[in-house]
Amino acid sequence: MRAFVLLRLAARSVGRNARRSILTAAAMVIGLALLIFSRALSDGGHEQWIESAVRMGSGHVAIQAPRYLETGKIEHRLERDQLGRAVEAIEALDPELGVVAWAPRLSVSGLASSAASALPVRVEGVDPEREATFSQFEGELRDGRYLEPDDGLHAFVGVELARRLDLEVGNRFVLTAQTASGEVEGQLVRVAGTFRTAVSELDEGLIHVPIETVRAWLGATGSATTVAILVDPSMRTDEVVDALSVSLESDPDIRVLGWRESTPDLDSAVRIDDYGDYIFHIILFAIIALAILNAVLISVLGRRREFGILRAMGLTGFETGVVVFVEGLLLTAASGVVGMVLGFAITWGFFRDGLDFSGLMSSEMSFSGSIIDPVIVPFFQLRQVLVSVYFILVIGSLASLYPALRASRLDPADAMKFEQ
Amino acid sequence: MASDGMWWRVAWRNLWRNSHRTWITASGLAFGYFSSVILVGLTDGMSAELVENGTRLMVGQVQVHASAYLPERNMHHTIGGYEGTDVDALLAQIEQHPDIEDAAPRLFGGGLLSSGEETQAALLLGVDPVRESRVSTLLTTLVSGALPTAGAFEVLVGSEMARQLGVEVGDELVIVAPAADGSMGNDLYTVAGTFRTGTPGIDANYAILPVDDLQYLMAMAPGRIHEIVTTVTRSRETPAIASALATTLGEGDVPLDVKPWTELRPELAEALALMDSMNFVIVIIIFAMAVFGVANTMLIGTFERRREFAVIRALGTTRRGVSRTVVYEGIILGGISLAIGALITWPVMVWWHNTPPDLTTWFEGFEWSGAQWRPILRVEYSADGPLFTALALLFTTIFAAVYPAWKATRVPPADALADR
Amino acid sequence: MHGTSVAPRWTGNTVALVSLLLPTALGAQTAREILEEVDQLLRGESSQALVTMEIVTEHWSRELEMEVWSLGTEHSLVRVRSPAREAGTSTLKAGQEVWNYLPRVDRTIKVPPAMMMGSWMGSHFTNDDLVRESSIVDDYEFEIAFEGPRDGVDVWEFLLIPKPEAPVVWGKVEYEVRKADMMPTWVRYFDESGELMRTMTFSDYQTMGGRLVPARMDVVPSDKPRERTTLIYHELAFDVGLEESFFSLRNLRARS
Repeated sequence: MRAFVLLRLAARSVGRNARRSILTAAAMVIGLALLIFSRALSDGGHEQWIESAVRMGSGHVAIQAPRYLETGKIEHRLERDQLGRAVEAIEALDPELGVVAWAPRLSVSGLASSAASALPVRVEGVDPEREATFSQFEGELRDGRYLEPDDGLHAFVGVELARRLDLEVGNRFVLTAQTASGEVEGQLVRVAGTFRTAVSELDEGLIHVPIETVRAWLGATGSATTVAILVDPSMRTDEVVDALSVSLESDPDIRVLGWRESTPDLDSAVRIDDYGDYIFHIILFAIIALAILNAVLISVLGRRREFGILRAMGLTGFETGVVVFVEGLLLTAASGVVGMVLGFAITWGFFRDGLDFSGLMSSEMSFSGSIIDPVIVPFFQLRQVLVSVYFILVIGSLASLYPALRASRLDPADAMKFEQ
Repeated sequence: MASDGMWWRVAWRNLWRNSHRTWITASGLAFGYFSSVILVGLTDGMSAELVENGTRLMVGQVQVHASAYLPERNMHHTIGGYEGTDVDALLAQIEQHPDIEDAAPRLFGGGLLSSGEETQAALLLGVDPVRESRVSTLLTTLVSGALPTAGAFEVLVGSEMARQLGVEVGDELVIVAPAADGSMGNDLYTVAGTFRTGTPGIDANYAILPVDDLQYLMAMAPGRIHEIVTTVTRSRETPAIASALATTLGEGDVPLDVKPWTELRPELAEALALMDSMNFVIVIIIFAMAVFGVANTMLIGTFERRREFAVIRALGTTRRGVSRTVVYEGIILGGISLAIGALITWPVMVWWHNTPPDLTTWFEGFEWSGAQWRPILRVEYSADGPLFTALALLFTTIFAAVYPAWKATRVPPADALADR
Repeated sequence: MHGTSVAPRWTGNTVALVSLLLPTALGAQTAREILEEVDQLLRGESSQALVTMEIVTEHWSRELEMEVWSLGTEHSLVRVRSPAREAGTSTLKAGQEVWNYLPRVDRTIKVPPAMMMGSWMGSHFTNDDLVRESSIVDDYEFEIAFEGPRDGVDVWEFLLIPKPEAPVVWGKVEYEVRKADMMPTWVRYFDESGELMRTMTFSDYQTMGGRLVPARMDVVPSDKPRERTTLIYHELAFDVGLEESFFSLRNLRARS
C-alpha cells in the first residue's frame, strides 16, 4: 500500500519539477541518441567497406579447390562435377542465412597483346549476368558496356590497359596463357567496354571475359577456379561457411573459405577499424556517463529542502531514499525510450540515403569514388542498440542512487534550514 | 557604484561558497577538454599510423625519378640520363632538405630467375642495404638467411617466388636480364635469404640485390639509378613537402620528377581521406556531447540558484549585475577547469606520443601489408584542436550560465522568493 | 608475317599464298591440293644458315652473327657465334617450348610462356614470332589488292584480313610479291584502325642453296622509324638431312 503512495510521490515530483527533470533527462536522452547514431554509422561504414572489398575479391564466402588459394594456378580448379555440387549446395541453403548472390569465376594469368604492345594480365572468366550485379562496375564504366549474357569474344578492360595497348572499344587483341593441359594458346577477344577504378593494378591488369569463352580457350570445360558468394549482412559469413562445409564435407576437392581467410589483407584492415571503433566508443561512453552524473549531482545540491519536507511528511529515511531513487528510475526509463526514438529518428530520418562523406574531404583530393563509396548508410544492429540502451539505464540508475542516499540520510530539521 | 574589481571578487566568492557545484562543473569541463583533445590526438595518430604502415613497406613517402621514367619504367631512363648522376651528392642534397628524413637509391630490372627445374619471370630490385633499411621495412621482412653482401653475387628472393622455384638459402640461381647495351646480362647467384612481406605481389615477383651488383648485371655505370625513395618528417604534409623538394631540386641541372605517395598510391590516399572524414564526424560527436554535458550542467546549476539571485536582487543588485557576476564566474571557472584539464591532458599527450602504451594484451598485433601493425595509443600533436576545444568549452560555460541567469532574474525578487 | 621464324619459311608460304589465288596458273590441281603439298614440303624441309642480325634501337646498337638450323615449322636451333662475349648463347625451339643456353654460367633455362612476348635477343622479333606457327591460310582471308607494274616491276599486292576469330593482333596485312620470280618485296602490318605498325622489307635477292631468296630482311617499327632489326643471310642450305633428334638439349649446349 505504502509502496503505491511512494510511487505516486515520485511520479508527481518528476512532473512538478519539469525543468529540472527535463534537463537531467536531457543528458541521458541526447547521450543515448548519439550512441545509437554513432554505432549505426560506424557499423554501416564497416559493412559497406567489407562489402565493396569482397565484391572485388572473392566474395564473403569462396568455394575453391583446396590448393587454389596458395598457388592461384589453373591446375587447382573446380571441375564440372565439383562445381555442380558446390552450386547445388549454395542453392540448397536456407534463405534465412542471407546469401544474396553468387558468381562463378575462372581465373588465369596471361598476356594481353595488341598490335602496339603486350602486358601481363589477370583474366577472369565470368558469368556476365551474375557478375554484373556482383562486381558493380556501373560506377566505373568509362566507355562501351559491360559484358552481356550472349557475349562470346568480348573483353572488359581497364583504361590503363586500353591506353598501353592502344585499344578502343571494338578493337581486337590477343590473350595468351597456359591451358589446363600445359600448352600455350592464344585467344582473340574484342574490347566491349572499359573501366576506371584508379587502382593501377586493376586498371592495367584486370580483364573480364565471358566464362564460356575462357573455358573453351583453356580446355577447362565446365570448370571454375572460384565460386564467390555474397552474404548480407556480413556477420552471417561464418554461419554460411559452416552450413556449406557441412553439406560439402564429403568432397575432398572442395574447400569453403570465409573472407577473412581468402583475403587476409582485408581482415587486417577491418581489425584496425574495429580497434579505432572500440577506442572511440569507450571515450563516448565516458563522456556520456559523466554528463549524466554531473546533471544528477548538480540537481541534488538544490533539493535538500525538498528532501527534508518528504521526511517531515512522515516518510522514513529509507522511504525517502526510495522515493528519490524511483524518481531517478522513472526519469531514466523515460529517457531510455525517448532517447531510442530520437536516436532512430535522427539516424533514419536524416541519413536514410546515407551520409555523403566526400563533402568532408579536403579539396585537394580528387575523389574517384570508385573503390570506396563515400556515402555511408547507417546500419542498425539490434544488439548494439540494446547495449547502448542498457548502458544508459545502468548509468542512470546508478546515478540516481546518490541523491537517494543523501535524501535518506538527511536530518529533517537541518534540511528545513535551507531554502532549497 | 562598484568597481570592476568588486564583481570579480564577488564572482570568486560565489564560486567557492558552493564548492560542490563548482567542482562538479569543473570536472565536466576538464574531462570534456581532456577527451576532445586526446581524441583528436588519437585520430591523428591513427591516420599517421595508416600512412606510415601503408608507405613504409615499399613506396616510401616521396619518390624522385628522371622525368621520363614514369609510367612506362623504361630501364634506360635513369636519373641523369645515360651518364647517370653523382648519386651520393644527390642523396646528400635531398637529405639536407629540412622536412626529409632519409633517402635511398633504387635500380629496377626485369628478367628471369632460374633454379634449374623452374624458371620464373621476376622483377629485380637493386638497393643500398644500409640506406634502404632507413626508408623502408622491406629488408626487415626476412624469414630466412641474411642480407646479401655486395660483390658476392648474392640475392634475396621473395618467399613465394622461392617456393615456386624450389630454392632455399644457399641454393644457386641463374639471373638473366636484358642489359643496357642490348645484350642479355646473365650470371650465377646464391640465394642469401628469403623475405615475406605479406603482399603477394611482392613475395611472388621480386628479387632484391645490392644496387652495385644489379648495375653490373645490367651493364650500367655506377651512377645510374632509377629512383630515390625518401621518408619525411610529417607524413600528413607529404604533398607540400614534395613540392618544396621539387623546387629545390629543380635548380640543379638534372631534370627530375618528385612525387608524393598520394600520387603514387591514390587508392591509399583515398582510404586515408575517407578515414579522416569519418574520424572528423567521430570527433564532432564526442565534442558535441562534451559541450552538451557542460551546457546541461551549467543550465541546471544556474536555474537552481534562482533564490540566490532573488536575494541579491532584493538587496539592490541590478539584473545586469547578476549577469555580470555569472559571466565572471564562468570565466574564472572556465579558466581554472581548463587549466586543470590542460594539466591532465598534456602530460598524457607527451607520454603517449613518445612511448605509446601497447594494448597487445587486449588486441593482437598482426601483419598488414608487410608492416607490423601495433595496437598502440599513438597521438600526434595538433595546434588548433586544443585551442578550439578550450575556447568552445569556455564559451559554452559562460553562455549556458548567463542565459538562465538572465531569465531567472526576469521574475521580480519577491515572487521568486515566494516561489510563485 | 606473323608466325615467321628466322628460318626462311616465307618461301613456302609465298607459294602457298599465290597458289590459292591463282589455281589456273598452276594447272588443274585445286588450291587445297597444292596447299597440302606445300605443307608437306615445309614439314619435311630442313635448312641451315649463317646469319648476321643487326639491331638498332634508340638506346643502343649491336650486331650478332648466328648459325641457324631448322626442321619444318616445329624445330629450330640458333647459336650465336659473335661477338665473343656472347658466343655460344643458344636458343632451342621444339614444338611449343623454348630453351636458352647461357655459356657464361653454363646453364640451360626454359623460357616460360610469360616471357614469350619479350623480344628475342633484344631484336624487334618476339619469342612468339619464333614459336607461333600460325598458318596464314588458317588465320587470314586474302584477296589481290593490286596487280601490275610498280617501279618497273610487275607485282601482286595481297591484302590479308584476319578471320574473325583468329588469334592475330593485326587488323590487316599487306604483302607485295614480284610476279616474275614470286619473291616477296615487303610486308606491312596494320592495326585495326588502319595505322601501320611495322614494315618488313626484303632485298638483295640471290641464289642460295639452289633457290632464289632475299638475302636481306629489315623489320622497322612505325612508332620508332629509326629503329630496325636487319637479318642478312650469308650462307643458306636446304635439305641438309636433319632429324628431330638433332634438336636436343645436348646440342643446345654444344659449343660448335
